[in-house]
Amino acid sequence: MSAQIPIASFKPYRGEKARLARAYDYLILVLALFLFIGSFHLHFALTVGDWDFWVDWKDRQWWPLVTPLMGITFPAAVQAVLWDKFRLPLGATLCVAALLIGTWVTRVFAYHYWNYFPVNMVLPATMLPGALVLDGILMLSNSLTMTAIAGGSAFALLFYPSNWPIFALFHQPVEYANAQLTLADLFGFQYIRTGMPEYLRIIERGTLRTYGQYAAPLAAFCSALLCTLMYALWWYIGKWFATTRYLNKI
Amino acid sequence: MKIKITNWVCTLALIIMGLGGPVQTALAHGEKALEPFIRMRTIQWYDVAWSKQQFNVNEEVAVSGRFHVAEDWPVSVPKPEATFLNVSTPGPVLIRTERWLNGKPWVNSTALEPGGDYEFKIVLKGRLPGRYHIHPFFNLKDAGQVMGPGAWLDIAGNADDFSNDVRTLNGEIVDMESVGLLNGIGWHLFWGVLATAWLLWWVRRPLFISRYRMLQAGMEEELITAQDRLIAKVMLVAVPVAVLAINAVTINRYPNAIPLQAALDRILPLSAQVNAGQVDAEAVKAEYVVAKRAMIFTVRINNRSDKPVQVGEFNTANASFINPELPAANPQASATTAVLKLDDNTPVRPGEERIVTVTAQDALWETEKLDGLINDADSRVGGLLFLYESEGGERYISSVSAAVIPKF
Repeated sequence: MSAQIPIASFKPYRGEKARLARAYDYLILVLALFLFIGSFHLHFALTVGDWDFWVDWKDRQWWPLVTPLMGITFPAAVQAVLWDKFRLPLGATLCVAALLIGTWVTRVFAYHYWNYFPVNMVLPATMLPGALVLDGILMLSNSLTMTAIAGGSAFALLFYPSNWPIFALFHQPVEYANAQLTLADLFGFQYIRTGMPEYLRIIERGTLRTYGQYAAPLAAFCSALLCTLMYALWWYIGKWFATTRYLNKI
Repeated sequence: MKIKITNWVCTLALIIMGLGGPVQTALAHGEKALEPFIRMRTIQWYDVAWSKQQFNVNEEVAVSGRFHVAEDWPVSVPKPEATFLNVSTPGPVLIRTERWLNGKPWVNSTALEPGGDYEFKIVLKGRLPGRYHIHPFFNLKDAGQVMGPGAWLDIAGNADDFSNDVRTLNGEIVDMESVGLLNGIGWHLFWGVLATAWLLWWVRRPLFISRYRMLQAGMEEELITAQDRLIAKVMLVAVPVAVLAINAVTINRYPNAIPLQAALDRILPLSAQVNAGQVDAEAVKAEYVVAKRAMIFTVRINNRSDKPVQVGEFNTANASFINPELPAANPQASATTAVLKLDDNTPVRPGEERIVTVTAQDALWETEKLDGLINDADSRVGGLLFLYESEGGERYISSVSAAVIPKF
């Protein structure tokens, strides 16, 4: 740790020093953006994977459970660094925005232009509303416990309702092959995925529907509980792996 | 130094030339990668045919055929409790508009019964012009992909002409190529703009070094201003309220939205087509002569029909061995063919039981990567033996299998 600078003797940077410090800001911001686009996107693809890739995987049970749970990881870790060391309440929003940039690039170029899937079949979900709330709660509470409980819960609970406006229309019923399907299911049937047989879809499996068929809210509350724990875990992971020793030498 | 630069320039030029040079398209898609015993003793395809192989964008083509689910299902392969009849394509260059199994339309996965006989039909619609090698195949849960015979399809026309309109149960007609796209982009932009505003609010002022120094100096109060707090409070109220309000509007807009559908279809097999009883063929022994690339079967044939019969074909893993002395046995258009020889080609008379030696000798065992059988833990060969009436040409099919003894 560097020595504390007494307030009385603190002098803000001016002139060339201030200009260099600003240049350093932009350098770090650009690097961080690319780092999070790559790393968070990879993490998300490996953990949430098909639930985020395909419109016919976005079900009421697993999608709202898995996505926020895996999506709160990097935001928590980055918040731990940016808030603890710099009092910057933008870690969650920055991470999720970076994730979405990476996701959109992949969906358009890899899934659409390279593999010919229509973009609407591979629309990504958004976690930005939850990320904004997570940043806001951290800033106002300045508390890990409060952010984990209130912010983590809000991050999970806001996920499904904030995405329903994007995906509800894919849940319109269609009569097809003497069966009732959603438009989303029809995408899965019509647009051929050789490595993705229907039985691999992990959707609507479990016992949550036994609670009066209200699967999505239950999955969201289950996710909220787990997100509070996941948030705390990844906060400490962020703290353990981050260092400001190079700043101390400036 | 000059030499180093020259080396670098030459290397760079080679890379650029390599990237710009002609690139051979990969034509195979792993159809021979699965272990031979799985390809030979799980899904046994036959009579597979395409309605046409040259067509335009928006035109439909059908592939139909039959398959037998082998009785001698390998012990190491999970039973076919969940399977999916699929089509190997390089992405959705065609879309699947219909799929039928035993005369029933079918969209989900299904369980198959070992020993069962099935006939299928898949209707595809051209989407992207090009020349593609396509197979019908079965995804077997926890086992892999068992390919049916492949064919080259030529799709002509313009990709922009493709349309895929679907009528929902609400009566609305939607274009699957674009439905929901602008709506999705719109919501992503909406939240993206808010997030960008929040990020810019902070990024516009000095960030890392300055804030770090101020924090170290205990000037925390100056880093988060009253205005920042006000904005955060507004955001904490506005974002959840907006989410819930928009969600409520959406629920009202789509009152008939239903959850994703997931089911395992149960489709019963046809009445027996293979091992149907009148003419039985049983493999007593099988030897594979490595040097000659020849599989030699000893087969016991029991003809309980009232007509003489002859062995016409042995088909395994899409490789067809045809008896050239039997005109009734025609190779399937999409199968890879070779010659089948018998030690006694005279017809098996009605009521007669005869043991014959059948030799399937060809490089096909190697080129189709079936000779690897002798290195498998479950080194049993399996396939369909087709017998034909000497007069009239009626066909009897037996699914045969036997342990393979290699002759090195």
